[in-house]
Amino acid sequence: MPKKDEKIEYVKGGKRLDGRKVDELRPIKMEVGVLPRADGSAYIEWGQNKIIAGVMGPREALPKHTQNPYKARVSYTYRMATFSVPDRKNPRPARREIEISKVSGEALERAIFLERFPNTTIDVFVEILDSNAGTRVAALVAASLALADAGLPMRDLVSAVGVGKAGGEIILDLNKDEEDAPDAVDIPLAILPRTEEIVLLQMDGLLTKAEWAKSLKLGIEGCKQIHEMQRQALRKKFAEAEAKR
Amino acid sequence: MMEKEVEVEVEHKQKKVVVPGDLVTEGRKKLGQNVFTENGKVYSEALGIAYPNSDLASVVAFSGRYIPKRGDLLVGIVTRQTVRGYLADINSIYNSYFADDEVRERLERGSVISAKVSEVNEVNEASLFDIRVFYGGEIISVSPAKVPRIVGKNGSMLSVLKEGTGCNLLVGRNGWVWVKDGDAKKLVAAIRLIEAESHLDNLTVKVEEFLKGKKVK
Repeated sequence: MPKKDEKIEYVKGGKRLDGRKVDELRPIKMEVGVLPRADGSAYIEWGQNKIIAGVMGPREALPKHTQNPYKARVSYTYRMATFSVPDRKNPRPARREIEISKVSGEALERAIFLERFPNTTIDVFVEILDSNAGTRVAALVAASLALADAGLPMRDLVSAVGVGKAGGEIILDLNKDEEDAPDAVDIPLAILPRTEEIVLLQMDGLLTKAEWAKSLKLGIEGCKQIHEMQRQALRKKFAEAEAKR
Repeated sequence: MMEKEVEVEVEHKQKKVVVPGDLVTEGRKKLGQNVFTENGKVYSEALGIAYPNSDLASVVAFSGRYIPKRGDLLVGIVTRQTVRGYLADINSIYNSYFADDEVRERLERGSVISAKVSEVNEVNEASLFDIRVFYGGEIISVSPAKVPRIVGKNGSMLSVLKEGTGCNLLVGRNGWVWVKDGDAKKLVAAIRLIEAESHLDNLTVKVEEFLKGKKVK
């Protein structure tokens, strides 16, 4: 942690603290179908973040009063492992996790054809094994891969990325050091890449109108990069089987 | 056996792996399964294979839960006896009910049956008829999306499997395969091979060679 009056240059000569460019993502690795017992699953490594996602369903929603006869319910569970942060994380779902679960579930709802499965629930579980800023977007990316792996009918994949400001510069995919900057602004952004429809957008901090316009543009470009990686990850398994022949 | 599968595969050379939201075609074509339209363009709604040159815009999905359709042949397991009937697990969202006068004998929890779907209601619950009871044997679970490949065109793959392993088998549309007698282990290996390579061509030939014991790469 920097001292109170110490000034850090977050972007120096076009490069950030970890050597990335302003519009560069952290190294990302995605894998699909990692949990045989789940209907669909995915694992993602996004910088230091390590996240596993599993999907069960559609299955009967219980207790019965939670059923909706017009569409399926998406129940999204975002959970951080006790060892995912430097100090021990209390395993009880906290305010932050409950909120993230709610908004992320609503983001996925937009992508799935829920009306095909009345009275059912689609359970999505994401477990944060290791965290270093931007876990909610990484979790959403993994969850959307797991949904596609489960064979659920979807309008589009959900692609997400963090964008924001540190040291007065608009940057893509903030890491923890940048998120802790004194003037930091963090915007988790999730879109349906085909239509560029925004399904999740949160912000803490302050931006000028011009900075906001720049951030959104940068974020959407980042989401498109993520989308291409998601497509490759989904197709990989089948390309491998073909190559073996 | 009483197989009456409708072959859904489209025969066209060119294949394309698509993910949800990928463009299938911009042209006006008849719509098949797993696609949706938006602004006059056809998009895929599932991870699967599209055939760009086909007259039918459709996607063959790689995975997915079984949703009952009228006329499907299923393999089920009795889970509970209720008023004048039984509930059977059919590997779908709900258990299905059938009346006890459909069967001659008393069934128990765990009895294996085959059934046809007589009706599906608006929340995807199926009613069953034409119940047959099976004794012994075992059930192999496969992905319901791969069932058409296990049956093959006009049951071609099925006859290869039966011949190659000497098994007595019934493939349920819901992804459960009932097997009795013969070389069940070999059959499982063959089915796993079909599942792994279901998106590739000439699978029947390959499975035939596999069952003959010839080295398969």
